[in-house]
Amino acid sequence: MSETILALDGVSKTFNGKPAVRDVSFSVERGQITGFLGPNGAGKTTSLRMSLGILTPDRGTVSLFGGPPRPAALDRVGFLPEERGIYRKMKVIDVIVFFARLKGVAPAEARRRGLQMLEEFGLAEVAESKVKTLSKGMAQKVQIISTLVHEPEFIILDEPFSGLDPVNQNALEQVVRRQAEAGRTVLFSTHVMEHAERLCDKIVLIAKGRKAFDGTVAEALGQVPRRVTLEIVSDHDLSRVLAGKGEVHREARGEHEVWIVDLGPGVDAQDILKACVDADVKLTRFEPVRAHLHDAFVHLVGREAAAPEAETV
Amino acid sequence: MRNIYLIARREFLSYVATWGFWLSLLSVPLFMALGFGMPILIENSQPTRYYVLVDETGGRLEEAVFEQIDRSREDQAEQVREAAREILGDNPQLGAAIDNSMQLDNDGYIRVEAGTTDLNELRPYLTGDAELETADGPQPLFAAIFLSEPVPGRVEMAYWSTNLTDRDLRRDIRDALRDYMQLRHLVENGVDPALIEAAEDLEPVVRELNPERTDEAAEVTESERLPIVMGVATAFGLWIVIFSVVNMLLTAMIEEKGNKVLEMMLASARHHEILTGKLLGVAAVSATLLIFWGGLASIGGLAIQQLMAAADIPAAEILAALFDPALLGPAIGYFIVGYLMYGAVFLAIGSLCETIQDAQTLMSPMMLVMMMPLFLVMMAIDAPDSPIVAIASWIPLWTPFIMLVRLPQDIGMIEIIGSTLGMVVTALIVIWGAGVLFRMGALNQANQDTVKSWFQFGGKKKAAS
Repeated sequence: MSETILALDGVSKTFNGKPAVRDVSFSVERGQITGFLGPNGAGKTTSLRMSLGILTPDRGTVSLFGGPPRPAALDRVGFLPEERGIYRKMKVIDVIVFFARLKGVAPAEARRRGLQMLEEFGLAEVAESKVKTLSKGMAQKVQIISTLVHEPEFIILDEPFSGLDPVNQNALEQVVRRQAEAGRTVLFSTHVMEHAERLCDKIVLIAKGRKAFDGTVAEALGQVPRRVTLEIVSDHDLSRVLAGKGEVHREARGEHEVWIVDLGPGVDAQDILKACVDADVKLTRFEPVRAHLHDAFVHLVGREAAAPEAETV
Repeated sequence: MRNIYLIARREFLSYVATWGFWLSLLSVPLFMALGFGMPILIENSQPTRYYVLVDETGGRLEEAVFEQIDRSREDQAEQVREAAREILGDNPQLGAAIDNSMQLDNDGYIRVEAGTTDLNELRPYLTGDAELETADGPQPLFAAIFLSEPVPGRVEMAYWSTNLTDRDLRRDIRDALRDYMQLRHLVENGVDPALIEAAEDLEPVVRELNPERTDEAAEVTESERLPIVMGVATAFGLWIVIFSVVNMLLTAMIEEKGNKVLEMMLASARHHEILTGKLLGVAAVSATLLIFWGGLASIGGLAIQQLMAAADIPAAEILAALFDPALLGPAIGYFIVGYLMYGAVFLAIGSLCETIQDAQTLMSPMMLVMMMPLFLVMMAIDAPDSPIVAIASWIPLWTPFIMLVRLPQDIGMIEIIGSTLGMVVTALIVIWGAGVLFRMGALNQANQDTVKSWFQFGGKKKAAS
């Protein structure tokens, strides 16, 4: 039976009369990678801050490691905030040791682990350099090391991919995977669905402060109608040819007609292809469209709710 | 506690690693050394001035001038001896030291003979085109002074010099001439010179007595005023230390906010731990400065004590007055509470601001609040019982400074306890409020506009972004 690391139950938070999070409930199970998805201003950061006890919910309860998010529980958590920064005038290794010690790691052990992780991240030669001499990418890696150096059981990353170039985004994905393989639980928020789709065992979708979905990626994708795009040069009316196989509508007329088929329940792309061949339809394009999380998100919350909020909370 | 210690330690080490800290550490002894040493250096580095004095009256004025100058120096020495006796007791060695000092002053100007009394012949020496032969070798002539009395009763002095700034010699001779003229006027009008001398020596015997004491013990000595001087000095010192330390806190907080480190910290430590850690870290910085300066002062004090003991001066009595536990204890207490109050406020201001420019708007009213005790302390020196000073000492933000001046002046216990209690309660409220503001500021739920909106009477309050 899985162990619940974090549970939010009916949590709400309002700032200056404006609701940021409304009656949100979800849980994170041990060993899982959970994606917390939503547009900017959806309430992700506020939810994560409440998860750590940095903010107190107006209503509802938060349970971290089976109890309220007390300081002792924080030692078991590694948190990378969205607004990232470290002490610029300190040496790289000193920053890492400082954050490790705040989490209860002994000084010598903190230093040993810090140097080891710097080696792993290819930053061994800058261990004694001041943070202000590092490039932005290197400084972000140092902050990631500071988040992980105390070997937390539970890692919370708030928009970890924002501000990183594609190479470093890929490297961070590898880090997240390695942490999960080491048995650690990961919760990360993002508004970029592709990362979640590649990494997550489970996702929680949030929009305008409300939870829109909570389940696996496959379950989320299952919410989106499967679609096939067809292009034909014959005079067939595909709405007749494919009757009963789903919703069929014509996208473009002319010499090459484009038809879209939203597949009905139990129908797959092969059934559509077979029906077309049987009816002697002259196909110039047959393209089953693979749904993405973004489609699932738009489908679940609607286009308006999927758009970023004007003001980030 | 672990987090508070680690945050305080980091804060402390980050300051100790800066040039500014070491400059601050060394600046006080350096400036003190300069303060003491510069006058001596200036005195020693000032070249000996050689001057010619020509008395066109045949020596009458010249004799009178030097007689008056000697008498004037003796009067000054007596005044210094008298003041020293009041504070340090009667001591022959001290008297000799004062006489010696007066003699040293005299050595700055040396009268020489140029072999001529003609101005035109003296002019090249005055302009530096030629040098006079003196006992110290060839020297330029600093001044040529011509004394005359063209008509009886009208004494004139012509002072020739290219140096327009050093006017001590001119002043001394003018004063001596004035005294001589006044004396001669009295004598010419029939007043007996012995009577004049006796009149000059007349002085009332002033005894300052304390009605709380009886008989011999009632006599108030100058050394009894030392605690008041110490109180004022401590109040100013406290103000300077708090003022510089809270500025450190403010800039550190703004820097941390700008670096966006706070949220990372909040995932490891609670608001109150960060606030307390920072306050303690910077307090440790100021304590280091004070201990270092205090150590140097103690070494200096010990050296002075040795000298005073050698000179048979009642050093213990003076040191006891200077380091009176009745003043030192409250001074430490007032420093701690004052530092916590102002430190918490400045930390909260820092947490609301992204830049120093943002902070300036909020700093202005705080600066006014901090400047007021300076004026009140000055007022309290002369009028410790003034109603304004008494009322101001009850205003908690000013209590630490004003009470330090009032404490040595026998104020009522109710005032001491009441104002201290008010200050402590206010400090607790301020620290709590600063904690709330810090929490809001750290997470960008409030900024300087939020505070401004609180003071927009009748206007619509702005929401925090």
